[in-house]
Amino acid sequence: MLKYRTRVVSIGDQVDAFVKAQILVLFQAGAPEELASFSVLHQPEITSGTVEVGDTLVLRSESYRVRAVGSVANENLQALGHLVVKCNDLDEPELPGDVCVDAKPLVMLAVGDEIRIEGGRAS
Amino acid sequence: MAEALKTYKAVKVEKGRGGWGGPLTVKPSPQKPYVVSITGGGIHPLAQRIADLTGAAAFDGFKSKVEFNQMACVVIDCGGTARVGVYPMKKVPTIDIHPTSPAGPLMQFITADLFVSGVKDENVKPA
Repeated sequence: MLKYRTRVVSIGDQVDAFVKAQILVLFQAGAPEELASFSVLHQPEITSGTVEVGDTLVLRSESYRVRAVGSVANENLQALGHLVVKCNDLDEPELPGDVCVDAKPLVMLAVGDEIRIEGGRAS
Repeated sequence: MAEALKTYKAVKVEKGRGGWGGPLTVKPSPQKPYVVSITGGGIHPLAQRIADLTGAAAFDGFKSKVEFNQMACVVIDCGGTARVGVYPMKKVPTIDIHPTSPAGPLMQFITADLFVSGVKDENVKPA
């Protein structure tokens, strides 16, 4: 089941540094400049579900299994299109906004790329 | 009342349960007349309360652009990584409604004189 689908509209100039630290910050287009600088801004197309453990996050064509979801992550996603993805293999979020996924290299997204959240494990 | 003649009151903002940092004294001025809500779903009630108590104007930071040097404070609903650091880095007093502690890539900027968290209505009092 497709829970969330969105398309990248801009990449902040500090995103690279965050990606190297295995952190990806998303905000819906329209976020203030100071947040846009380290964020991937996107325009959501489908926002029908909540992120849960066991879901699959797809960045362009790379899949990451969701291992932990912080207590305010879904609220942030729904209200602001805001997601903080940490590739840290953790099963317990360190911070309430975190969505923790497999600790494999983060792809460097580009404008036009699709981001999806799929329920359960993607085939 | 003309903007130049407007008087502002100060409020003291203390950390709430499980929170960190502060207390902060927020006093708007003619140069810093705005309380900016960087939260989901419009102006957060806590930002509105601070604006009402101080005489400042509350703004939705996702709708209006306000320069850092015009912000009396910001109210955020950050989960601990991004917004908690950005505004302290710009020296803007930052109030998080969630009980977060310094963390994330910008944690060195999050200091008790610029940041307070876990804040609820009852933690904001006239100074």
